[in-house]
Amino acid sequence: MSIYMMKQETAEAKAVVVDDMFLTTDMPTTAGSKMLEGYNSLFEAEVLTRLKNAGYAVAGKTKVGEFGVDLLGETCYFGAEYEGESLQYPAALAVKNGDGKAAVVLDVNGAPRRGAAQSGLVALKPTYGRVSRYGTIPVACSGETVSVIANNGTDCREVFCAMAGHDSKDGTSLPESMTEQGKAAVNKRNKVAVLSSMLKGVNEEVQAKIAAAAEQLSKNGVEVVTIDAQTVAYAGAAWNILMSAELCNNVSRYDGVKYGYRTKNYTNIDELYTNSRTEAFGDFLKSAILFGSETLSTENYSKVYDKAMRVRRVIRDDMAAMLADCDALLMPAVSTLSYDRTLVERDKYLPYKENFFTAPASITGFPVVVAGGVQLVGNAFSEELLLDLAELV
Amino acid sequence: MEREALRRLCLLNQLSLTDTQKDDVISFFAERDADTATLDAIDTEHVERMVHVMPILTVVREDGACQPFSREDLQAGAPETDEGYWCVPRVLE
Repeated sequence: MSIYMMKQETAEAKAVVVDDMFLTTDMPTTAGSKMLEGYNSLFEAEVLTRLKNAGYAVAGKTKVGEFGVDLLGETCYFGAEYEGESLQYPAALAVKNGDGKAAVVLDVNGAPRRGAAQSGLVALKPTYGRVSRYGTIPVACSGETVSVIANNGTDCREVFCAMAGHDSKDGTSLPESMTEQGKAAVNKRNKVAVLSSMLKGVNEEVQAKIAAAAEQLSKNGVEVVTIDAQTVAYAGAAWNILMSAELCNNVSRYDGVKYGYRTKNYTNIDELYTNSRTEAFGDFLKSAILFGSETLSTENYSKVYDKAMRVRRVIRDDMAAMLADCDALLMPAVSTLSYDRTLVERDKYLPYKENFFTAPASITGFPVVVAGGVQLVGNAFSEELLLDLAELV
Repeated sequence: MEREALRRLCLLNQLSLTDTQKDDVISFFAERDADTATLDAIDTEHVERMVHVMPILTVVREDGACQPFSREDLQAGAPETDEGYWCVPRVLE
């Protein structure tokens, strides 16, 4: 089984791979779904244009799970990737194979961070709005972020700098003035807090990674403290609601009329819509769509969707308060460093539980770096500081 | 989630499920309901909703002339077209 949807030779010295959530004009874009099999875009993602302008070539497109919301690509219509019995993240494998300096990926529900943690790579999910999402497949727009996976922090930094910056084509792209102001406000405290509330449910191997990271930071002169921040542990539940609702709205555009998959089995317009979507979407996605739709219903909007948006503010405010006193919050990215095939097949809704660890950064838009198998979440615009810390763990 | 409510939800989302899939979705919803109920532990009575994580509004960019995509290009990936139109079954019976 290939980790690529398409791979191409490149003469450029600097190459990156991208995942299949980015629109490209020279390769199809499927978002891992039968719905978009063979879909060719008329324009390319802004980040790819920027990377090309900076001298990078795209060496290939790696597979993703259907619309990027799963664990590590297990719901990809074109096949999941296992090494032995362990589920693997294709973009991380491409970096490990040396197919490119970095992988540029869309972090919707934490898959890139889980992949990097599992593979011992470095991943950077920047502050929301610092990298243009123009030309990415929209799924959970209020939190998804273009991210980078690389062998080390230096490569991550280089690729991030090549693609970051305001883009007038993306309505959520931050103005340069705000970015510069935000960067100037970042103060180095030389202090990192371990969030004890985020350690529940992790196995011994992951606990050891957290302990090792804390020890390394300490050895390098960083003060390490422990904080019991209960509200952060609710990020997963709140993000599941917001992500599903946004997913439901975003995939409503796929109806078999203008582009994408169309069923052969229809006699009227309703059957065309329903059968096209039913045949093209996978089971996991259907469940997520239905849950998202339910949260937006008249009965549930206030008590579920609206509540999640208010909880989002509580979590962000609490994390910002913690980050006013320290450089980063140290927490696991995963509960285990290997997802066994049996586990993945037995509990297909595992992504809705495992994102307990990745949701705090997704729901708040704060930047996060994965290194040494752990996450360091920082204040807005603190990417440089986080990458410096990542070199210590 | 009752079966009838799920049937309505599927209708709204233009999806069709088998009986096994319906059972699966109902148990998924039960898990999510339990998950959602945990949020009640956080008092949000005087908290404003957070729609955008950054303090920006969706901006409107300046108007500018540009070359739009041609009809042929736009329809190149269409499942079925006829003389420049997208084809669908009759909408009005």
